[in-house]
Amino acid sequence: MVSKTEETQLNRLENQVDNGGGGAWEYLCLARKLKVRRPEKVLKYGLSILNDSKKRSALGPEEWTLYEQVAIAAMDCQCLDVAKDCIKVLRKKFPESKRVGRLEGMLLEAKGLWGEAEKAYSSLSEDNPLDQVIHKRRVAMAKAQGNISAAIEWLNKYLEIFMADHDAWRELAEIYVSLQMYKQAAFCYEELILSQPTVPLYHLAYADVLYTLGGLENLQTAKKYYASTIDLTGGKNTRALLGICLCTSAIGQVSKGRNKEDKESPELQSLAAKALEKDYKERADDKHGLLTCVLRSLKI
Amino acid sequence: MAEDLVLDTAIRDWVLIPLSVVMVLIGILRYFVSKLMRSFQVPDPKIVKEGQVIVRARNLRAAANFIPPKPFRSRRVYFSNEENGLLFVPKGQAQNAQAQMFSDPNMAMDMMKKNLSMIIPQTLTFAWVNFFFSGFVAAKIPFPLTQRFRSMLQNGIDLSTVDVSYVSSRSWYFLNLFGLRGLFSLILGEENATDDTQRMMQMSGFGFDPSKSLSAEKDGLDIVQHEWALPKFEHRAEAVLKKLVS
Repeated sequence: MVSKTEETQLNRLENQVDNGGGGAWEYLCLARKLKVRRPEKVLKYGLSILNDSKKRSALGPEEWTLYEQVAIAAMDCQCLDVAKDCIKVLRKKFPESKRVGRLEGMLLEAKGLWGEAEKAYSSLSEDNPLDQVIHKRRVAMAKAQGNISAAIEWLNKYLEIFMADHDAWRELAEIYVSLQMYKQAAFCYEELILSQPTVPLYHLAYADVLYTLGGLENLQTAKKYYASTIDLTGGKNTRALLGICLCTSAIGQVSKGRNKEDKESPELQSLAAKALEKDYKERADDKHGLLTCVLRSLKI
Repeated sequence: MAEDLVLDTAIRDWVLIPLSVVMVLIGILRYFVSKLMRSFQVPDPKIVKEGQVIVRARNLRAAANFIPPKPFRSRRVYFSNEENGLLFVPKGQAQNAQAQMFSDPNMAMDMMKKNLSMIIPQTLTFAWVNFFFSGFVAAKIPFPLTQRFRSMLQNGIDLSTVDVSYVSSRSWYFLNLFGLRGLFSLILGEENATDDTQRMMQMSGFGFDPSKSLSAEKDGLDIVQHEWALPKFEHRAEAVLKKLVS
């Protein structure tokens, strides 16, 4: 995930290049380092560098990395001819390379030739059973074909070996949520929280999943995680605030007769409601009426 | 004994400086040769998996207080279960790792290559120094030393009355050997093959890494007490919101 400073830097560079201020190469390097996905810009500026033979030779050995980057961006924009040309150049320079083989597999994927892409990837992965990118491409392919269960299977196999890859856990969590397999999604989010405990996004998602699962214990846990999200984001996360209100009222409904919940944080709900109202007044005054209705209905 | 020997400046010109220059050049040569000779080592899937397991177990230990107690317990069992837990290494297998390392032809070749690239230039240079630059005083060390260093530093000089601070060129060779490491990391960037001293230290702590760290992680995990930090968060959220709202 990209940090805020890095994102602003990237955007600044992008603006600079857009307005003709030069610095295209730095922009491309930064985009590559941060692994962000800006295919149109990368394609435009990358091609402008590559087509100009003077600039191209000025790059030296970085030229080939640029070819790879432009090829991937072209595939993203569906400019398959550009991609094919770039890959041809790379193949001529590195005839035995697995990296180029991967790119060719991706080109087959982009064309929609799933069977051949699968064949290419399996032959590549036989030589190189530990190549992470090939595994991930397989998952992506299964997902693109709509075969979600196969995607889950591949992803699980990948995670059995590379269990410290938190991006993969995140992908798996999202897939499970889309399939409404909330228990498994909760497990994935726990893994994410373990590896990066200070990222509020994961706490929030975990709380959402727990709230959806329902049941008194889950609701209480969800409330706690909404609270931790609020703490980590300094109270600015609207979703967490609403989550608190919803959770408290749901807990109140579920444990109607039993009164043991009051000890922990009785004010949290009212504070959250107040913070929400203040926020809405500042940012979306027209929707404020809607909010007050919702809050009123929750205060049962 | 306290008189100062005046050393000919020719010694400085023709011994000290050429010796340093030669060692630097040999270091650079070795760096490039090692780059050429470096074979791509296919990582063993088992070792990669173990490495990842260790990272995951470490994360579990570090952030254990952020997840509810039940998931923590189930994960702990998953990792340290006696029969099929991930971190559990049966006793017999643990010993084999090192033996296996030496019998595995590829790895043995690799180690030999690395050692050779280190030993041969050292030996050659040492022999050269001894042949050409022995039998005279090369330099004076600025601080006084005890007599015990005499045999080490004054090897070619057979006079026992010379102050120990006056050393032969062999000691200048050793000084360069250990001292040029810093220079090499400046010139050649990090990761250069001339880092002999580091490699020597690494060689002694070799092999055996996976199973030992696995059992270390297992022990660490067994020790961890789970103290769920989330209830505290509720209070903190309250405080944050209070400040926000007021």
